[in-house]
Amino acid sequence: MPDDHPSDELDEYLRGASALSHQYLREPAPMPPQALDRSVLAAASLPDSRTTLKSPRLAPLAFAASVFLSVALVLAIVFGPAVKRADDKPRVMQVRAYKTDPPRAAAASPRERNPAAWLEEISALRRAGRDREAENEMRRFRSAYPQYIIPVSE
Amino acid sequence: MDDDARLMLRYRDGDVTAFCALYARYKGPLYRYLLRHVRNAGAAADLFQEVWSRLVAMRARYEPRAKFATFLFHVAHNCAIDFFRRDPNLRGVTATHGLEPSEFGTALREPEVPEYQRPDKVAEFLEQQSALLAAVAALPQEQREAFLLREETGLTVEEIARVTDVPVETAKSRLRYAIRKLKKSLSPMQEPDALPLRTYA
Repeated sequence: MPDDHPSDELDEYLRGASALSHQYLREPAPMPPQALDRSVLAAASLPDSRTTLKSPRLAPLAFAASVFLSVALVLAIVFGPAVKRADDKPRVMQVRAYKTDPPRAAAASPRERNPAAWLEEISALRRAGRDREAENEMRRFRSAYPQYIIPVSE
Repeated sequence: MDDDARLMLRYRDGDVTAFCALYARYKGPLYRYLLRHVRNAGAAADLFQEVWSRLVAMRARYEPRAKFATFLFHVAHNCAIDFFRRDPNLRGVTATHGLEPSEFGTALREPEVPEYQRPDKVAEFLEQQSALLAAVAALPQEQREAFLLREETGLTVEEIARVTDVPVETAKSRLRYAIRKLKKSLSPMQEPDALPLRTYA
């Protein structure tokens, strides 16, 4: 917006020296109806469980609880029951090995195959778009290792 | 930290009497700001209640980062913005463009809340529309708001900018245009030199 007005007009107004302000001051000054007063003051007096929980006095307790939960979660991840793996190699390395050309199902008998590696092969098949083969392999896997806990990503 | 912020902190910590003191101090300016900004008694009453409700709801998170009036009227500004978005017909000056000041009253929408639709309440509202208030009502929304914030609260241009989420120069420009238009629409006016300085509570 272009600002081509003389600045003293605004300065005069902001100093409170303007006739406009004095005229506005002489206008009726309506107040809120009493029913509104009662309603607002009643609402302000009511205890609100939602806001009470957010009281600053409870902040240390909330912080301690969140720290406790975080530590418990980390401990559960580190020391909790893990999916069995035959080796300690990072999974990402195995994925890279199959990225270009995922192998067909291994010829070894199902019980002899390493379950983690097998699942990786199935994942590689899925990534390559060979869903039918992946499903077949998964069925074989399940029949070979019915008790094996399959990670969610599989 | 201003006294009002201290009252708000006391209310945050559970002192309801502190809220009553704040309410007594600001209910008039806030109500008039809303009434003359949205130009609808029923809507103003709703918004008035909504502003205080939001204040009550957010009291636990209140931190006195700015003047309390700035905080309160920023909440009110947001409520008004929501209101204008809900009903764009009530938003700006377009509804009253081309009307004489004496006709602005009839151009105002009637209250929407049943309690305030009573004819006596409507008449009471329209009776308040003096030449100055009619001219204020005819200002574009942003200029009207800047003028009302200044007049009802005594906020500085910087504080008005903070309340309305705009740069200081924009707020200054809005205020300048508002007073220019109001002065043009009101004549004759008293000479400024003959008037004492206005003070705010």
